[in-house]
Amino acid sequence: MLDFIISKYNYWIYIILMMMGFYGMIAKKNLIKKVIGMNIFQTAIILYFISTAAKKGATIPIVEHGHGEAVHAIEYVNPLPHVLMLTAIVVMVSTLGVALAILIMIYRRYNTLEEDEILQVKGK
Amino acid sequence: MIVMIVGAMLIYGTLDMPKWADPNAPAALHVSPRYIEKTLEETATPNVVTSVLADYRGYDTLGETSVIFTAGISCILLLRKKKRENSGGR
Repeated sequence: MLDFIISKYNYWIYIILMMMGFYGMIAKKNLIKKVIGMNIFQTAIILYFISTAAKKGATIPIVEHGHGEAVHAIEYVNPLPHVLMLTAIVVMVSTLGVALAILIMIYRRYNTLEEDEILQVKGK
Repeated sequence: MIVMIVGAMLIYGTLDMPKWADPNAPAALHVSPRYIEKTLEETATPNVVTSVLADYRGYDTLGETSVIFTAGISCILLLRKKKRENSGGR
């Protein structure tokens, strides 16, 4: 039982983090808080993928010795999640930047960032 | 409420996941050993992450830079248009 918890608890932490972001996206009325919730969500996904790269007893994926010797894949952690999450972080930062720019536009136009107040102003 | 249901479903899903840092996890067995073992002779780069990012997936990185470029341009457009309206058309 303890072994089971130790081998799985990292996934549970990411799920808790992800659900915190999801709650922020759904329940909060403030648009800034929604954006931050989305960011926490994406961070949880990135942490999850990075954790799938880990191997026990392995080192970072930089080949140490020179040419001629055989390279054993068991000695290095999986590099592909790292590469893909590098791309995902870039996309995440881009979406965050554009979202904040749009929020600045919304604030200039409606003078508020609360969703219900914006809908009220639009309804009139 | 929805959040709790989704969280419970996801935790149920982790019961089938491989153990943390398991060298025999399916993610570590199929395609990644080939990259680790061949990267030095094919790209002469000791850092596997760099060789995959810039060599095997070079077009992906090119598209990624275009994503950043588009985001930067759209930020500039969004923030600049309003300023021009306020200052009365430069």
